[in-house]
Amino acid sequence: MTKHKTVGPTIGIVLSTVPRYSETFFRNKIKGLQDNGFRVILFVDYLESEDSNFACKVVASNTFNKNTFKRIWCSFLALLKSLFMHPKRSSILYALNKRDGISFKDNMKQVILNQFFLKEEVDWLHFGFGMLAVKRENVAAAMCAKMAVSFRGYDLYLSPLKHPGCYNLLFTKDIQYHVLSQEMKQELFRYKIPSNKIEVITPAIDIPFFTSNTTVEKKNRLELVTVARLHWKKGLVYTLEALALLKQSGIAFHYTVIGAGSEKERLVFAAHQLGILEDVRFTGKLTQEEVKKQLEQAEVYLQYSIQEGFCNAVIEAQALGLLCVVSNAEGLAENVLDSKTGWVVPKRNPVLLADKIEAIVKLSEAEKQKISKNAISRVQKEFGLIKQQEAFVHFYSEN
Amino acid sequence: MKKALKIAVYSGDIPSTTFIERLIHGLSNTGNSIYLFGFIKKKVKYQDSVSVFGYRNTRLHKALHYLKYSFLLFCFKPKEKRKLDRILKVQSENVLLAKVKSYPVLWHKPDVFHVQWAKGLADWTWVQEFGMKLVLGLRGTHINYSPIADKKLAAMYRTYFPKVDGFHAVSKAIGLEAVKYGAVKEKIHVVYSGLPCVEEKKTVSKQKDVFQIISIGRPHPIKGYTYALDACNLLKAQGITFHYTIVGGTNAIEFAYQIHDLHLENEVRLIDNLPYAKVQALMQQADLLLLPSVEEGIANVVLEAMQNTTLVLTTNCGGMDEVITDGVNGFMVPIRDSEAIATKIAEIVAIPQATKEEIRKKALHTIKTQHSEDQMVDQMLALYQSIYYDKA
Repeated sequence: MTKHKTVGPTIGIVLSTVPRYSETFFRNKIKGLQDNGFRVILFVDYLESEDSNFACKVVASNTFNKNTFKRIWCSFLALLKSLFMHPKRSSILYALNKRDGISFKDNMKQVILNQFFLKEEVDWLHFGFGMLAVKRENVAAAMCAKMAVSFRGYDLYLSPLKHPGCYNLLFTKDIQYHVLSQEMKQELFRYKIPSNKIEVITPAIDIPFFTSNTTVEKKNRLELVTVARLHWKKGLVYTLEALALLKQSGIAFHYTVIGAGSEKERLVFAAHQLGILEDVRFTGKLTQEEVKKQLEQAEVYLQYSIQEGFCNAVIEAQALGLLCVVSNAEGLAENVLDSKTGWVVPKRNPVLLADKIEAIVKLSEAEKQKISKNAISRVQKEFGLIKQQEAFVHFYSEN
Repeated sequence: MKKALKIAVYSGDIPSTTFIERLIHGLSNTGNSIYLFGFIKKKVKYQDSVSVFGYRNTRLHKALHYLKYSFLLFCFKPKEKRKLDRILKVQSENVLLAKVKSYPVLWHKPDVFHVQWAKGLADWTWVQEFGMKLVLGLRGTHINYSPIADKKLAAMYRTYFPKVDGFHAVSKAIGLEAVKYGAVKEKIHVVYSGLPCVEEKKTVSKQKDVFQIISIGRPHPIKGYTYALDACNLLKAQGITFHYTIVGGTNAIEFAYQIHDLHLENEVRLIDNLPYAKVQALMQQADLLLLPSVEEGIANVVLEAMQNTTLVLTTNCGGMDEVITDGVNGFMVPIRDSEAIATKIAEIVAIPQATKEEIRKKALHTIKTQHSEDQMVDQMLALYQSIYYDKA
């Protein structure tokens, strides 16, 4: 067990940016740790003006921008700091990297780029996403801190396809892993990570906020909704294809897609070509209050993703009592229990999705109520913020 | 006798895409002068009748280019320069860049200014104020895809399409699409893309153990590769032995994940963009060129495959049914239908060799009679002349 260098245990959390208000996961985690006597330092790559009042100390990386002169100057300063302010840690980092076979040039780059970590005292250095730990595999060891890495979905399933072998070195290190679902734990087993090194802590939501206090008027058309970034991994084209089939079956519906993203052109075109553009509305990004309002107007929530770590939006929809239909992508089948708290449909199959929605439409009110109540009760029991906070306290205390 | 015309073929880039370069090459042998304006990506050796008035993408080159034409216009066409400056000030967000692009056009004043890509139309309507004829190319996603989601773009088309002097549509279908934005039907001329005449190739026997399928093109959603990959999953489940290559499909994490997710690593490979000759060679080796697109004008890659005597399976999108008749000179399935793609491929695999040979011959005949480069050049010239002389 590492000797604590600060009054309470200090957790260094590494992210790209300071989490925004909508990023409940990290904000809640930080708050929970602080409430339990932990000290938190946030390490980020970029800092923006509004980040100055964040709830914990924030340490930002040097700005190595595109201007060659500034880049050389920043590198020079970082090198000086490495040599004179924390020479021991810099040399450990260099030696560990060298032992891992990292070339001199890349090693020096890492020492310079990661210099901003080295001056801080932490007991744990926890990388918020897998890719944030790449080329920083030895930083925690150089700081004499324990290392933790969270995988959240994209970074575990897609990043290795984009950057083959990116975790080869990382997975050789002594790391405590946090994942969002049992499925993700299974995925880590494929990389030969032992079970005792992996902890599953599901996302959590603000349950009092996502508790419905309105009764929706029954409409003469089926109201469907999805909250998702407009990204291919959300499976929205398959969803639109299923809805086109639903239309052919004579079921009147309206579908609201809440979220923004680069795929809007593709999705609008698909809806146009499938003949359902007038039945679909793309609202763009909405505030949390507006999202809640939109969810409360709908009866069925769809999350027919191709790839999904766990998905907070589905928990929120369940908390509000919507009937949730999700794909079997990774963590979704743990988020929604098939035929108990919603329905799970094999992914990439619009026919099956359309059939399932049609079957739900035909359910009796009592059957729908049963599923809805089950979902609300499970979310309240399993996905509250307090439970998540306790899990993280346990994560750092017991490992 | 008709006078030789000065024709500007404008795509923004020099050199442009293969098919636009082919048009430039063809027109350069017709006794007319061809002008190329825009950004020089790399030096190209053109015929003497082709004049390049472009700039390299460095501040220095752009500054020199601007100073040269500012000086010429200031000294010899001051009134016209002032008029153009007034127009650009109103319509351009980056006036300086607009001047860099526009001054050489005003100075050289071609008779016909042919804009190849519709998204850039608003930047060039001013040429009509100076007596130049404006022709717009109706090609690809600019017409049949982007304006569906981009309301601003659609509004721009509605404003300017009615004013264009003539349209060059690469297919009848895309011409009809332009009518929706106010293009005058009578001003739309369908001129199919043409391929240079090549000596008849001896068809190589393509019967192999593994049925080789190929798709070629950028990883844009319009190309519908996700449907092709879902079809591969169905084919594999049916026990059909095949191999599918997507040229230009690397860096598309969506496809990489789909291949991984469907366990198609042994059946599908994504490879990077390749030089033209290598692509042609791969196409010749393949048993089938698959075009799973959700929208197209007329896909040039299909024409090339037909000329290479490679069987074609295309979706029925855009103008593809103006080239392919299902079961006659190729094969056709509905758009967005993986099952139909898989079923059709399974059928094609089972077709006797002699029937395949017959289809290949008919495909080659279609290219010779409908898509020759000579035909394309003659028709394009007729288009330019009709527009020029009608008004003159």
